[in-house]
Amino acid sequence: MGERSPSRIPLIAGAFALVVYALAFASPYGLRVLTVAGVYALATLGFKIVFGLGGALSWAQGAFFGVGAYVTGILGSRYGLGFETTFPLSMLVPLLLALPVGLAVLRLESHYFALATLGIAQVLHLLAVNLPELTGGSNGLAGVPAAVLFGWPVPRGLPMAGLVWGLVAVGGLIGWRLAQGRIGRSLTMLRDDPLAAATLGLDVGRLRLTAFCISALFGGAAGALAVHTQRVVSPEVLEFPVMVSILTIAIVGGRGRMAGAVLGAVLLLHLPEWFRFLERGYLVVYGVALLATVVLAPDGLTGLLDRIARRLSGGRPPILAAATEPPPLPNPPDGMTVEGVRKSFGGVLAVDGVSLALRPGTITGLIGPNGSGKSTVINLLSGLERSDAGRVRLGGQEVTGARADRLARAGLARSFQAAALPAGAGVLEAVAAARLAIDPDAATAQAHARWALDRLGVGALAGQGCDGLPAALRRRVELARSLVRRPAVLLLDEPAAGLTDGEKAELATLLRALAGEGMAILLVEHDMEFLLPLAGTVLCLDRGRVIYDGPASGVRLDPAVAAAYLGRAVSA
Amino acid sequence: MAALQLLVNGVALGAAYALVALGFVLVLNATSAVNFAQGDLVMAGGLLAVAVAPLIPLPGIALLPVVLVLMAALGLVLALAAYLPLRRRPPVSVFISTIAVGIILQNGAAILFGPEPRAAPPLFGDDTLHIAGLAVPEQSLAIVAVAGLLIGAQQWVFARTQLGRRLRATAQDPEMARACGVPVTAMILVTFAIGAACAGAAGLLLANRYFVTPTSGGDLILKAYIAVTVGGWGSVPGAVVGALLIALFEVGVSSVLSYPVALGALYLTLLAILVLRPQGLFGEAVRRRG
Repeated sequence: MGERSPSRIPLIAGAFALVVYALAFASPYGLRVLTVAGVYALATLGFKIVFGLGGALSWAQGAFFGVGAYVTGILGSRYGLGFETTFPLSMLVPLLLALPVGLAVLRLESHYFALATLGIAQVLHLLAVNLPELTGGSNGLAGVPAAVLFGWPVPRGLPMAGLVWGLVAVGGLIGWRLAQGRIGRSLTMLRDDPLAAATLGLDVGRLRLTAFCISALFGGAAGALAVHTQRVVSPEVLEFPVMVSILTIAIVGGRGRMAGAVLGAVLLLHLPEWFRFLERGYLVVYGVALLATVVLAPDGLTGLLDRIARRLSGGRPPILAAATEPPPLPNPPDGMTVEGVRKSFGGVLAVDGVSLALRPGTITGLIGPNGSGKSTVINLLSGLERSDAGRVRLGGQEVTGARADRLARAGLARSFQAAALPAGAGVLEAVAAARLAIDPDAATAQAHARWALDRLGVGALAGQGCDGLPAALRRRVELARSLVRRPAVLLLDEPAAGLTDGEKAELATLLRALAGEGMAILLVEHDMEFLLPLAGTVLCLDRGRVIYDGPASGVRLDPAVAAAYLGRAVSA
Repeated sequence: MAALQLLVNGVALGAAYALVALGFVLVLNATSAVNFAQGDLVMAGGLLAVAVAPLIPLPGIALLPVVLVLMAALGLVLALAAYLPLRRRPPVSVFISTIAVGIILQNGAAILFGPEPRAAPPLFGDDTLHIAGLAVPEQSLAIVAVAGLLIGAQQWVFARTQLGRRLRATAQDPEMARACGVPVTAMILVTFAIGAACAGAAGLLLANRYFVTPTSGGDLILKAYIAVTVGGWGSVPGAVVGALLIALFEVGVSSVLSYPVALGALYLTLLAILVLRPQGLFGEAVRRRG
């Protein structure tokens, strides 16, 4: 993930070694292998953005590669067009393919997404074989010209290797910038927890579409270069081994790191040379390498190197940005009102006509026995579930039926019962992720995250990881995540569960202060000692219906509530 | 008449696909992991039959027990190498590890057998029966009968036996099953063995009329996947029905147009289903988050 930035020395040393090898030691055949390795590195860089960062296993990367190859092959050999035309078109056509496909399938679950993209790859392969007038059929097209740069046809050998690796360097730099920036961090967030990402205001579909389109550009460029290297194009470029190679390179190199694409490509393209006796069976070696990496070193080679580097550097604390207070939302908020929302699962009516109003500056309590529909209400309000009926307004806007990310951007924040923090991420990173949909860049988001951590009295955690935090601190970090977005409406799902009396008192003070600043707060709680002094209005749910809606002081006296909830709770 | 003829061929192909999809969905339910090697297991079963056939000079049906046992063993190896070490990791890890096993099987087969298409012996005989004016290949009937028997036997085991109850408990809720004393890990191993045996049997059934090459797995996993998607992710009867639908579609369209067109149309239909009804035609059996 973006946070780790170990010294660049190994990177520079590696690049230097590659250049020395290419200039001084490589045979013409060795240069060719190196060139092909560059081509695959470029294709894998794109794949890393959609799969490594975004977590969407796309089988279309091989297809984009093949389409880019065919565009250059057909235009170059049939129409004699030059590199300056064919190369951009080889990137553009896969992009035009990725757009409609991505729009259609990007919201699918990961395995459906993999299947759909695999289907696309198969259709394209069928087309390539069965449209001989255009593609040359299964024999393909020969006589693709060399790449011509400013009137100079780039010959095979060192110049071609230089061109390819120059483009790998450019592509790698772009990929690295993307990974470090807002898009990369948002994608990582999405990969690790799509649900939480949506409640933090990230538009899952749009982000994935962006990543998919970027991967298409890289794939197309790599395909074009492959054809300039081979000088022929055949259905082979659309076949399974291309995709298998890209996937293996990505996993073995290390999923999230851009340098992993280069390391993996150089290693895996040279691997068959060392297993020559297997001839075409080199893919068996790929299979074994892939399996061994997934089982033994899930972060790949760059993950291993990272670990070594961190041990050597002794875990220096990262330099943190200074805390800055994020600006409050521009529009003066006017709370959230809900009228008659209803939701049933199968035949069970989980929420039946619930209405409530969360006014700025108030704390509203939501109580009810287990299974009475509290969690469903909070899921409906935050857009994780869609209501069957009812109207919702937020900050003066009609938001009935809006998705979680839109509600979040309109000023809503929520917490989860089990504090949902991404595994393996740093505390600061996790809180800053909540600002990704708002702030212009990752550094600003971090500065704002520090403010929120300070405000909750856990500023000292900024340099630590989320894993292994005690439950009470995890809750605070999660609260910081909500707070940092300066929401107009805050929904908290059992924030006091598992806290000591002292911690509860601190939390109560904080919530009062937040309400004092004009925030509207909804508290779902079991703990009456905590809730009743804090809340102005309390609603009690039973079997999906509101059975009490009134001042907190009246709850204990209400016979219906006592029957449904307090009676049982007290006698227990 | 011609339509009936196609129907028989389609049902025979569909019966074999159903076995593939069944093995896939059993593993899916027990582990919520997608076994991407399922297609390559079918290929391995087919080539295994091709390799063993010269040693057993009997009709193809005699190969069935051999293929079932050896493939079940391969299923155990698959579970031990590619599933058990990864069971606490995100599902995509198992997806990739089974892709890796598929790559190893496919290319290992290419080294051992070469790329040429091979045919296994027919199950009983090669004759064509003439029933009421219909010319029905004996092999087609044998495929339907054997696949039907295997699927029936599997259903019986799952519905009526103690082992079946334990397998179902594991598939439904592994944590709860473990708490009730079901040896969950052993049940998962058994499920992988059954899944691979189903694939192997399908390989034997398909390898006579449709031949087998080291690369035929890719096509088959796609079809199993489509069958399971169409039938509702995780539904066992849905997978069988989905497989039959796919085979009928394939046979029907390729008789009018051509096989590539049929395949293309199948994939496009799949994409349409995914976009319009991601929960499958019959609804989704496995509940998903989000």
